[in-house]
Amino acid sequence: MPQRLRGLAELLDAHVISRREFLRRTALITGSTAAGLHVLGRMAQAQGGPKLRVWLFKSYVTAGNDILARQVETWARERRVQLEVDWATFGDREQKFVAAIEAGNPPDLAEMNYQGPLRYRPALRDVTTLAREIAGARGGLLPYADRVMQLNGQYFGIARQAFGGGLHIRKDLVAEKGLKMPKVYDPDVIDVAKKCQDPSKDLWGFGQTLNRCDDGNGFMQNILWDYGGSAWDKDGKPALATTYLRQNTEALQFAVDTIQKHKVQPPGVMSWTDPSNNEAYMAGKLVCTNNGASLYYAMVAKKHALADKTQVLLTPGGPAGSFVFAGTYNWGIFKQTKHADLCEDLVRWVEDEKRFEEYMKASIGQAGAVYRSRAEHPYWKTDPNFEGMLQNVMRSVWPGYPGPITPAAIEVQAQYVLCDMAGRVVVGGLSPEAALKEAHKRIEDIHRIRSRG
Amino acid sequence: MAVPAAELGTRAGLNGRAVGLRRLLGPDYRMGYLFVAPIAFFVLSLVGYPFCYAIYLSMTHKLVGLPPVFVGFENYIRLTGDGFFQRAVVNSFVFTFGSVGCKLVLGVVMALVLSSHIRWRSFWTGVLLIPWVAPTVVSALNFLWIFDGSLGVLNYLLVRVLHVLPQGVGWLSEPGTAMASVVAVNVWRGFPFFGISFLAGMKAIPAELYEAAAVDGAGALPRFRHVTVPGLKNIMIIVVLLSTIWTFNDFQIVYILTKGGPGGTTMVMPVLTYETAFGAQRLGEAIAVALYLLPALAVTIMVLARYMRKGRKR
Repeated sequence: MPQRLRGLAELLDAHVISRREFLRRTALITGSTAAGLHVLGRMAQAQGGPKLRVWLFKSYVTAGNDILARQVETWARERRVQLEVDWATFGDREQKFVAAIEAGNPPDLAEMNYQGPLRYRPALRDVTTLAREIAGARGGLLPYADRVMQLNGQYFGIARQAFGGGLHIRKDLVAEKGLKMPKVYDPDVIDVAKKCQDPSKDLWGFGQTLNRCDDGNGFMQNILWDYGGSAWDKDGKPALATTYLRQNTEALQFAVDTIQKHKVQPPGVMSWTDPSNNEAYMAGKLVCTNNGASLYYAMVAKKHALADKTQVLLTPGGPAGSFVFAGTYNWGIFKQTKHADLCEDLVRWVEDEKRFEEYMKASIGQAGAVYRSRAEHPYWKTDPNFEGMLQNVMRSVWPGYPGPITPAAIEVQAQYVLCDMAGRVVVGGLSPEAALKEAHKRIEDIHRIRSRG
Repeated sequence: MAVPAAELGTRAGLNGRAVGLRRLLGPDYRMGYLFVAPIAFFVLSLVGYPFCYAIYLSMTHKLVGLPPVFVGFENYIRLTGDGFFQRAVVNSFVFTFGSVGCKLVLGVVMALVLSSHIRWRSFWTGVLLIPWVAPTVVSALNFLWIFDGSLGVLNYLLVRVLHVLPQGVGWLSEPGTAMASVVAVNVWRGFPFFGISFLAGMKAIPAELYEAAAVDGAGALPRFRHVTVPGLKNIMIIVVLLSTIWTFNDFQIVYILTKGGPGGTTMVMPVLTYETAFGAQRLGEAIAVALYLLPALAVTIMVLARYMRKGRKR
């Protein structure tokens, strides 16, 4: 094209053609070239197969991320699909989903967390058939995962894994003091923390933030259950300062006491975010901390000196038992996709047992079981620390427990209402009862608004 | 061909109006409309439409993936009685006016120092501009590390090196220090803008005024009060006005340092808007949070703008 245009320019310079003729011919050449390129592009696209946009979740377990990405790319090559992979992280996942759904441009397939099936239901396809097919071939879904994936028998997510974790504790320090491993928070964890800590050396007994982050949220929710309380009653109605006021007050008091009375938490713990306890533990400043398996993974992967000195225990409990919530990660197929069959094929591909096994082994305990057969996999016997991680996942309940999982229960989590409640006592100076009543009002508001549908 | 009298009258009327407009707006007034049309189109489509749509959405119950349901002023009424929102409003004013006040004082000091005869003035000017030039995200992440209770450099210096404190302070986690810390970071980032603007303003004040004041026996303080401050008044108003708007809408510093925590101690309006939109995923209410204080801010801006124009007329 440039040669032909240059030729025309020369003709114009030599006054062989008029300026009008030059413009006419130039437009013709440019237009026909653009049209030709467009047709060629379409042909190339047709040859390359359909295009699929897939969002994967980037966890802290980087080896697992790499394996999943590779598996997805291999599938695309085999099926001759043009793949556009994007990553969502802990920090930007919900923002991306909200923006894409509202802009009418969601991906075809996405790896979502436990909130996805209920929150993005209007934009998601009903995947009941596939979810049942995959679960059926794996001995069925574990009850906690089943609760989160479906609403009234309709599945909006295909379960993949649940992040295992537990109480990461310095077994060398515990042994040095001749103590037993803790089973409940009060008095076990407090006792171990007090006896093992040495603030003069900046070593603190327990590292558990109550700040606005997933770690704070998880702990606050668990501790209410551990004391027999909850933010919700059996019918899914707010119960923070009503049905379970006494139990919740005791639980909140204990959480606050770890900072104010027992003084086993490091300074600044109320400003911690999710990675803070990982950093503090790996820096040797904590005796114990609750965390997902990503902390153990990081230590093992980096051959950190504390990896061998760490034991991962079942998350401690309280007077009413030991409760945890392990969020189920899952695949969601969006309504707007033109290639639902391909999305389903990709889900079958990555959930294939051999491929999942490869992913699970690289994840060092993080890829917790959501299906019965995966919970029985011999892998979970290969490291003593995996036992606690697996059992934590197996006994998981769900947001809203002891009632049903509801959009309101998920929003209470997402808005960090329970963390704010603890913060109002620790930082705001409110009494636990006053903070519970204040948080209860917020929960009632959320319940009222979400009840509209 | 005969033309009806009524038609003649209409034409005469139209011609008369056109002549009137031409006399009023100039002979090329039609061309003027043509020139103004593109910018009017862009302003209406890029500012007017989104703004009106935002006002509409703020009056709806809008959840992600679902169509909005009109609820009138319900969102605004609910917010008015919401204790968490009320604290966010108070925090926003504390954060904004605390920051702007400190930046004003530090900016004046910076301008006075840089306008005096110090060595390496250009070098110091460049150094003092670094906080303003550095990306906010980078600065905020650095301060997050500096303020960290366990691993932060500030506690390390105060406890281990200088031995000023027996134990580290939770700068971002204690009631007395959390808001002060986020204000400090905002001040650190914003005061160079004040200083450089005031410095430019000071250069425009005629030296004769200072000489005359000195001849009249005025010392440094009276010269500052009666020459510098009046000379800088207009710039001060503009800078304070701009900084108030920017600080009120500052999201990054607070979000990165505290996410509005602990317990909502540092929750400000932009962070609450973000949390309501992406955490709660209630888009209508999130926009209501964002728009709630718009009238108050608009009145402040109008009053300040009018005051500035009045000063200029004088």
